[in-house]
Amino acid sequence: MEKMTRVSSTISGCTMFCHLDAPANAISVCRDATQVVVAGRNIFKIYGLEEDAFVERLNLRVGRKPSLNFSCADVMWHQMEENLLATAATNGAVVTWNLARPCRNKQEQLFTEHKRTVNKVCFHPTEVNMLLSGSQDGFMKCFDLRKKESVSTFSGQSESVRDVQFSIKDYFTFAASFENGNVQLWDIRRPDRYERMFTAHTGPVFCCDWHPDDRGWLATGGRDKMVKVWDMSTNRVKEIYCVQTIASVARVKWRPERRYHLATCSMMVDHNIYVWDVRRPFIPFATFEEHRDVTTGIVWRHQHDPYFLLSGSKDSTLYQHMFKDASRPVDRANPEGLCFGLLGDLAFAAKESLMSAPQSVGDVGRKTYPGGDRRYPIFFFKKPDVTEQFAQVSSALSVFESEAGSGVGMDWFINTAQSYLLSGKPFVELCEHNAQVAKRLNRPQESTTWTMLRIMFSEPANPSLSSNHNLNKSGNLPLVNSFSMKEMSAALNERNKENRQDNLHSLETNLNNNDENEETEGSEGQAEYLFGDAELDDDDLYSMEHENQAAEEPEYLLPQEAFPLRHEIMDHPSAPEPVQEKPESPHVSGSEAESTCLTPMESFSLISVSQLLFSPHLPPKFFCPIVKEMLCYYAEQGDVQMAVSVLIVLGDRIRKEIDELTQEHWYMSYIDLLQRFELWNVSNEVIKLSTCGPIMCLNQASTTLHINCSNCKRPMSNRGWICDRCHQCASVCAVCHHVVKGLFVWCQGCSHGGHLEHMMEWLKQSRHCPAGCGHLCEYT
Amino acid sequence: MSIQYEAPLADSFGVADSFPKDFGYGEEEEEEDIEDNPTPSDSKPRILLMGLRRSGKSSIQKVVFHKMSPNETLFLESTNKIYKDDISSSSFVNFQIWDFPGQVDFFDPTFDYEMIFRGTGALIFVIDAQDDYVEALGRLHLTVSRAYRVNPEINFEVFIHKVDGLSDDHKIETQRDIHQRANDDLADASLEKLHLSFYLTSIYDHSIFEAFSKVVQKLLPQLPTLENLLNIFISNSGIEKAFLFDVVSKIYIATDSSPVDMQSYELCCDMIDVVIDVSCIYGLKEDGTGSAYDKESMAIIRLNNTTVLYLKEVTKFLALVCILREESFERKGLIDYNFHCFRKAIHEVFEVGVSTSRTSTQPAGTPLMKTVALNGTPRSTV
Repeated sequence: MEKMTRVSSTISGCTMFCHLDAPANAISVCRDATQVVVAGRNIFKIYGLEEDAFVERLNLRVGRKPSLNFSCADVMWHQMEENLLATAATNGAVVTWNLARPCRNKQEQLFTEHKRTVNKVCFHPTEVNMLLSGSQDGFMKCFDLRKKESVSTFSGQSESVRDVQFSIKDYFTFAASFENGNVQLWDIRRPDRYERMFTAHTGPVFCCDWHPDDRGWLATGGRDKMVKVWDMSTNRVKEIYCVQTIASVARVKWRPERRYHLATCSMMVDHNIYVWDVRRPFIPFATFEEHRDVTTGIVWRHQHDPYFLLSGSKDSTLYQHMFKDASRPVDRANPEGLCFGLLGDLAFAAKESLMSAPQSVGDVGRKTYPGGDRRYPIFFFKKPDVTEQFAQVSSALSVFESEAGSGVGMDWFINTAQSYLLSGKPFVELCEHNAQVAKRLNRPQESTTWTMLRIMFSEPANPSLSSNHNLNKSGNLPLVNSFSMKEMSAALNERNKENRQDNLHSLETNLNNNDENEETEGSEGQAEYLFGDAELDDDDLYSMEHENQAAEEPEYLLPQEAFPLRHEIMDHPSAPEPVQEKPESPHVSGSEAESTCLTPMESFSLISVSQLLFSPHLPPKFFCPIVKEMLCYYAEQGDVQMAVSVLIVLGDRIRKEIDELTQEHWYMSYIDLLQRFELWNVSNEVIKLSTCGPIMCLNQASTTLHINCSNCKRPMSNRGWICDRCHQCASVCAVCHHVVKGLFVWCQGCSHGGHLEHMMEWLKQSRHCPAGCGHLCEYT
Repeated sequence: MSIQYEAPLADSFGVADSFPKDFGYGEEEEEEDIEDNPTPSDSKPRILLMGLRRSGKSSIQKVVFHKMSPNETLFLESTNKIYKDDISSSSFVNFQIWDFPGQVDFFDPTFDYEMIFRGTGALIFVIDAQDDYVEALGRLHLTVSRAYRVNPEINFEVFIHKVDGLSDDHKIETQRDIHQRANDDLADASLEKLHLSFYLTSIYDHSIFEAFSKVVQKLLPQLPTLENLLNIFISNSGIEKAFLFDVVSKIYIATDSSPVDMQSYELCCDMIDVVIDVSCIYGLKEDGTGSAYDKESMAIIRLNNTTVLYLKEVTKFLALVCILREESFERKGLIDYNFHCFRKAIHEVFEVGVSTSRTSTQPAGTPLMKTVALNGTPRSTV
């Protein structure tokens, strides 16, 4: 028979459509692929498939007053008997039609056994007289067309049946899909109990289809927007493929002659028909986008021809789609992907053709990383080809690892987070400590900031304490320097952060030995401006817009103040330069010269006025707007760590200046970062020290700790130390056999544990549990 | 609860039941006539809500029948006595929620489970999917086998609850596992005939309403008739989808046979909320009397995606909510006429239901044929 029907070469046609009078609910083709029947609530017609048009052959909806039996939910054309059709009516009737009847009314048999709507009818693929129906009332009935009523009834246990399909390969088997997400397999000879049942989807399963060639492959589609392919041939039903679509799946049909292809259409929202390759579930293989309303029925025109697809829709059209006219979403997809790793690594996937030679990869990278040589990441070619089957999209994945200690890496973040002190000491000492930390980590900008903060906000009462000579060692002078600079023709935008920092280095150097400053300075002030304080000078170095507003202010304000000179500083105007900065200065200026084309300034007049920065009658509040600006600046630059640390250390001094939401946002970002780097302790400290309500609540969520009793290994109810099952004290140290008060550490495998220090000692000697239970304890 | 209903209208409709004997809705009808009916509450079919402690039973009941917002359920105290919640005064569906406290010992000799199960229409067992459910499964088996012995007519429904916390894969895996174990237990006890239906539910979305709808629909003997009427109505009026809602609980007691889409259902639920809320503010009489939902209740909402939502009163507890396209809504006259026929048919169905349960002779299929014929006549071309 199969040989007989292998006539696909004779089928021809083009993409075409015709208007129906009413929305279609289902369509079916006859065996020789020359005619198609369309059924709906108000339509029941047969169309002939001509070369370039549909031709109406027959209207089966005849009679003066059409009965509800004509209102069809489903239709099926028998694949053996070309005159035989069956329809499922919405009123619960199953009707068969014989086209060979001589009169106008072709209705042959009427079965009214179902109480509710019949959702599906299905002819046996090889048996002429066997018809199966599945209804909303939860029953499936098998009819012998030679009899007046059903021969057997299968109960789906009060769940509505959405689809029934005879297996193509197994004579007696059929599959049924249900509204509760189950799929059942039945033997036609055993109506009392299903052979097999499994939960296929969450929510209703609307459709199922047996694979035409592979015995035991069943595709199901459901409201959960998935198409799943199940392998029934094994003992345990196995999900072998899963395709995620964008809307609930109404119909699914395997594509003939293509083992891995299936066509789907959706029930709501989406009007397109998709053809998927199940091995490649993320993007449809082909799409037909002709329909303007939901597609309700799809069928391949011939069971051995994969190029013709017929579809009926609620927009009252019937289409024949040609595969060659389908749109291929793959062609329009963007095959490039880019992602940053936690530690500054960069993964980049692109079409192979773009990345054919590793050298060109390097060139691409060079463009994205301007700057000094030492900051080039290492490139390596990781996977030459990911997906071999689909040649047209073969892509390459490259991972660019950042060099340890380079600017891209995040080591500085971890180190800083771990070494910063946020509380527990007087404000002045905290600032000093943090300044030292920043200095040590080669982040002079932050270091300066901390120092300036200390000076701005420390108590006027004890200035001598804070500003002793150790300040000078740190290389930062609390000077108010005002000097003018000529505008340099440098493109500030192109300068990266590192350069700025380097500039700062040299700037500081200059500040330190401001008397004999002969080295050209790389600061690009736009106009003559005044370094009101070091804060400002940071800001100015970064952004031009900023600088203009910020610089104006102190210009007017500062000269009015009578700044008493601070004699300690006067005593050491040229502090010895820190050792580490010395080699850096020439290097930086060298790199600047090439990267930003700085030319030495001719008239660099540096008027240095060493002054005490604050006076007793200048309240710390005065600095708040500047500090606020600075914090915002840091946060915007991505250094939320600095913003939060300063926020915490300054505490009440600055908190009111910044609105709650911004603070919360900073805290959340910082905590998130810390947790990504697994710095749990720091993150917890930050949460504890924060003053935002929502942040403090973070520590109060999920405070329950579930533990097992170490004796009986049952879960403890939270009633103190005594296990209520074995009435023994649960938290006894396995090493010293005393009750543990304080830090208790235990193995999650065997529930034994004890004092932290005892356990650590024990584990140095042995990997086994100290309680002698033989468990190989694991502590992380 | 925010909605107050006025005294029953002359034609209030009980629901005829599938239970042959002593707890017919017909008696319930009479109960309104004869106020001193000795045991009125015992004559209604009950829905029992059971499960282990903290599995979410009270929350379900509060959310579905008392419009509590899901977040507020966190603050519910644990229930320590059987809670009979009779909602028949405000809802179309006459049933009671028996909220069992989880820790009740059911095999206490003083606990008359015979009495309880005999009048029960559906037993809902709630399992907390986020917790270890082995204990719950044992309890489930114990409960259903007891109940089945007393009354084999009970529908056993299992709500796998609190699935909002699970991933999609995990959900289906949990359902499969619970299903497998529960049925294995039953098979071991040779209770294969006992059928359990499983639902994945959460109070944070509409899945709990949908599950409850299914449970209630199974208790409605008129469901096929209602479904057919809706089918006819929507096909003749060019409507995409129609729900027959119980207004108070937003349970749909019937819909046409096309598959229910979650978004459409949520849209319709929201529409009911809007209509009732607006009506509560502006619809009441000046002295505060009157009801938020009465014979005049009707609402049209046009969405900007060329969809129209149409709500109309059917009976004092029921509303029809339709989703249709703008172009179909141009023939509003036709829709209104069809609705008129539909409404009349529904009233007749319930009247027939009342009379059949009184006489207990008429077969259940009769109202179907009758109304179909009746509604088929005034059909207009669409």
